[in-house]
Amino acid sequence: MFYIHKTTCISPQQTFSAVDIEHLNEPVNNKFQAVEPSYEGIPPGILRRMGKAVRLGVGAAMPLVHHSTQPPDGIIIGTSMGGLEDCIKFLNQVIEYNEGMLTPTNFVQSTSNAIAGQLGLLSKNKGYNITHVHRGFSFENAILDAAMLLKETPGTNYLIGGVDEISSYNYNIEYLGGWYKKEIFSSKDLYTPGSVASIAGEGAAMFLVNDQSTGAEAQLKAIHIFQTEDIATVGNQLRQFLEKNLPAGEKPDLLLSGENGDSRFLKYYTTCETLTGNDITIARFKHMMGEYPTVSSVAVWLACEIIKQNALPQHMLKSKSPDRDFKNILIYNNYKGLQHSMMLVSKAENQ
Amino acid sequence: METAELKKQLKEQIVKFLNLLSVKPEDIKDDEPLFGEGLGLDSIDSIELIVLLSREYGIEIKDPKEGRKILVDVNTMVAYIEKHRTK
Amino acid sequence: MNRVFVTGIGIISAIGNTLAENRLSLMEGRSGISKISDNFPSKFAGVLPFGEIKTANSRFKENLNAKEPGITRTTLLALHAMEEAIKDSALTTAELASFDTALIGATTVGGMCLIDELYRDANKNEGGSEYLSSYDGASVTMYLQSRYNINGINNTINTACSSSANAIMYGTRLLKNGLAKRAIVGGADSLAKFTINGFNSLYILSPDACTPFDADRKGLNLGEGAAFLVLEKEEDCAGKKIYAEVTGYGNSNDAFHPSSLSENGDGPYRSMQGALETARLRPGEIDFINAHGTGTENNDEVESKAMIRLFGHPPAFTSTKSNTGHTLGAAGAVEAVFSILNLVYQEIYPGLNFKNAIISTGLIPIQSYTTTLLKHVMSNSFGFGGNCTSLIFSKA
Repeated sequence: MFYIHKTTCISPQQTFSAVDIEHLNEPVNNKFQAVEPSYEGIPPGILRRMGKAVRLGVGAAMPLVHHSTQPPDGIIIGTSMGGLEDCIKFLNQVIEYNEGMLTPTNFVQSTSNAIAGQLGLLSKNKGYNITHVHRGFSFENAILDAAMLLKETPGTNYLIGGVDEISSYNYNIEYLGGWYKKEIFSSKDLYTPGSVASIAGEGAAMFLVNDQSTGAEAQLKAIHIFQTEDIATVGNQLRQFLEKNLPAGEKPDLLLSGENGDSRFLKYYTTCETLTGNDITIARFKHMMGEYPTVSSVAVWLACEIIKQNALPQHMLKSKSPDRDFKNILIYNNYKGLQHSMMLVSKAENQ
Repeated sequence: METAELKKQLKEQIVKFLNLLSVKPEDIKDDEPLFGEGLGLDSIDSIELIVLLSREYGIEIKDPKEGRKILVDVNTMVAYIEKHRTK
Repeated sequence: MNRVFVTGIGIISAIGNTLAENRLSLMEGRSGISKISDNFPSKFAGVLPFGEIKTANSRFKENLNAKEPGITRTTLLALHAMEEAIKDSALTTAELASFDTALIGATTVGGMCLIDELYRDANKNEGGSEYLSSYDGASVTMYLQSRYNINGINNTINTACSSSANAIMYGTRLLKNGLAKRAIVGGADSLAKFTINGFNSLYILSPDACTPFDADRKGLNLGEGAAFLVLEKEEDCAGKKIYAEVTGYGNSNDAFHPSSLSENGDGPYRSMQGALETARLRPGEIDFINAHGTGTENNDEVESKAMIRLFGHPPAFTSTKSNTGHTLGAAGAVEAVFSILNLVYQEIYPGLNFKNAIISTGLIPIQSYTTTLLKHVMSNSFGFGGNCTSLIFSKA
């Protein structure tokens, strides 16, 4: 589909500038808050107006937009909720001042497209600009979009990314909906069986992608998304996905599983593990990042990192098979047991 | 309230209201233009300042264009507040 | 790449609950904008003019048999339009359920039409409302997905006021790239305290009915609506009713300001130019433009300038927002439907409330019902965040 050339990630772990994913930051009160950098690339006059999601997204993307020799031909962002914090500040004003005189900044920043819009504005990028907001498929659609654009106009470059934030509001609403755990969990206890719900996360992962293999960090070979609650369908779709995208008889070298500690959805992940067989390494990442709609973007970032290092931290391992080079990484994730995504991230051919 | 005191208070309110991260209230000069050169505020800020006048001083400005005449610098704002404040 | 055709249409707006009703209102120059509002709680209901749909939620729920908990007005409007589009295209249950059928929705308000409920849920310790999973934009599309069991690529787009224009573009591209065999594309938004207060805080709501492209325009009127199109590939259209072909789409960012367009209108210029390029048309081949034309000081002047820059002498144009109000995330799809009606019936509908041209541009929208030869119609949608999209529909 395309090659990934540069990546950045702001997450609850040390993933920005000095990357260290061996060290594990713990969640606080079941929330994995992002470690925010100082945002030196963003002018203070503009930073002052940004809510957290916009800050995370713009902060992560700026190095890619500015330092690239070739400015991207388009900016494609996946975010389930965008600037929810601003949305809520505005909403509070509406209620507090009973629809009286309100300040517009929060309203303008509250629309989900504020991240892509600000990026366009700051980098003077007048190219393609879009925001996908389909909950657990927001980032996946950004991938599909970029893949189509590269087929339509070969030789172009795109910035794609996934961003979401934890705000007090969405945390509370998701908590009431039964999506976050009631008891406090540490990172290492997250996968303890028999407990429902997960813990919250936030972050931004950004990628510069094009159709050129030269100098690429990795290749995104294939993606498949579908919605179902039927376990057999998940199995069938995965089998077809692997048959279609890997040479006959070959298996991925690593399954990067979106297992999130929610016993209700464990069955989907174990189905994948059974299908890929017990001779491949299985790794997990939500004890690092928490659960949120666009966390699959961070999974892709981690896959690139694992390919680069040809190694992964011990704490990510669920089961280890005999050493094999990490050439093909299968990412399987589902959001709330309904939105399933499978991606194949591979070593770039010329590496 | 003394004019000097009102100026100090207004500068603090401007910094807080507009979340001017890198500006200290005392750095804003009384005759420094708020828009364009100077503080470099824009059209959304001008509406924010109109809301500030409404919430803090009970001054209602219906037309943002009228606001532009008042929101020139701290001096013009203070002069207007002293004349029209209702709280 | 494959040609993509529109084989089904559904629409609801302040000027009609069906495609036929909408067309009749357009022909008669009827506006759905008034100060009488029944269906949304806001201090501004009854004070400012809105393009409200006069059907209550309870009636929609009854008519559409949508009685599950947690359904918002945005979803009801979407479902109403979707139902008409699917019936119109005669897609079968099996076709809908195929992994080749895509559903691309768009909305800006989504479930945020329920801000009082959201406020309560966000501050409660236990026992949330029925709307806990209805506040985001995706909830609208996801309801449609599960109701019709649409199994292909699903997506929701939010680029503010150009959202559903982008949904149409995205669906068309999925077909052209072979990622879907058919796509149902469109968008919905309902009148909401959130957006009313947002636009009001920017001083761009008009106290009177909006007057697009008029020198004395005072701002926009918010409206509500939904529209969906069924898109199919040429090879699958044999024997089917075909409304129009989707021939052009262009997307660009104005990269100037979070809530207003640049003086030169680079974004609008580039989106229109991009649409011409994909359609392989010269500017002179566009016969009519359904302009974004919100009635704000900024938009109408900038859009006019961009049209002059690109076309020299722009073709005939109007803004149907003087009929429906600005339906935000639905506007692109609603106006795509109106553009398709232009082509199908070879007619242009009168733009309303216009008196004098903007001095700097001198452009005058069409003000009376006209029948004429139309081959290619362009539809513009520009949004906050600088998101500009133009579509071109061509006579099938």
